[in-house]
Amino acid sequence: MATVLTVWGSPSATSRTGVVARHVAARLTADGHDVSTLAVRDLPAQALLHADFADPDLRAALARVADADALVIASPVYKAAYSGVLKTFLDVLPQFALRGKEILPVLTGGTPAHVLALDYALRPVLTSLGADHVAQGWFVHERFVSVEGAMEAEGVAPLEELADAFSARLRRPAAVA
Amino acid sequence: MAQPVKLVVVSAGLGKPSSTRMLGDRLAEATGRQLLDRGVEADVHTVELRDVAVDIAHNLVTGFPPPGLRAAIETVTRADALIAVTPIFTASYSGLFKSFFDVLDNSALTGKPVLIAATGGTARHSLALEHALRPLFAYLRATVTPTSVYAATGDWGASAGAGDDLAARIARAGGELADLAAGLPRAAAAPAAEFEEVVPFAEQLAALRRG
Repeated sequence: MATVLTVWGSPSATSRTGVVARHVAARLTADGHDVSTLAVRDLPAQALLHADFADPDLRAALARVADADALVIASPVYKAAYSGVLKTFLDVLPQFALRGKEILPVLTGGTPAHVLALDYALRPVLTSLGADHVAQGWFVHERFVSVEGAMEAEGVAPLEELADAFSARLRRPAAVA
Repeated sequence: MAQPVKLVVVSAGLGKPSSTRMLGDRLAEATGRQLLDRGVEADVHTVELRDVAVDIAHNLVTGFPPPGLRAAIETVTRADALIAVTPIFTASYSGLFKSFFDVLDNSALTGKPVLIAATGGTARHSLALEHALRPLFAYLRATVTPTSVYAATGDWGASAGAGDDLAARIARAGGELADLAAGLPRAAAAPAAEFEEVVPFAEQLAALRRG
């Protein structure tokens, strides 16, 4: 069993990114992992944007990242890249905060034209944070997801497969120190 | 003289003073000077994203920009030319910088001349300009100058002179932005005389057939 933190960076409380992130979290939980979710929008904006490390909520969020064996990083696509909201949280992490951790990147977006944002925009950022392994991620087209939480199997099945492979990887003795 | 060019600097620097702001000021100065050389005055405005940071967060959540942010958005949207400067964090633009451009309309920068620049601790993340910033402005259909400017901490110590690469880069980028903003074609890369010697392709083909 691994400790997994799902971080999602949508500014909206009722977002498709949140639906997808919770879906992956539920799948990993069902597979026996200890999964919790962190919505960047719930963190205090002032502390986050001015990197105020004295803020208790921000400190708690950073501790959760430090304690996790693995992270699911989920973001909507804005302007052909991950959201600024997600980036504000990644910016306050220590330089090599993801060292020794397994990462599953997930994006949601409105056009398949932006699928490559995952590998061209998000992945390099995760690599620069020292992630040991950034797994194959998935871009979920928003037409497969409703903000109420419904998802069409056709659009989410590939993500579920990748989440299961990610879960299996976390079970390997070497994956969890 | 022609109408002044409204030149806007967007700085995502957090410190006071901020090297990001300092780089923006130097780029604005270089652009303004070279606009004057072209007979155009520059009217320079600076938008410090630090001052509207919390507004940006609230706008993302509520969808409505508070007055301070609305003013910043209008300043940028109405600019004739833009200088966008961010600190580099995790090999990319800062979250604050990206959040500001996230709230702009997709058409706000269409066709606008933009100079992209960044500051960082070391030169090792220079390519973030080409791999993160340039694609962002390409998405927004801005016209980005060929030269982007990255200033590492060590570059600031270099004295002006032959060895001052940063100063040369700032001048070149400023010239490119001045050309775009003044509506002038950029200086030809090669002298026209070089092309006088060129034998048209059809003639070369004809010569081959004869051979």
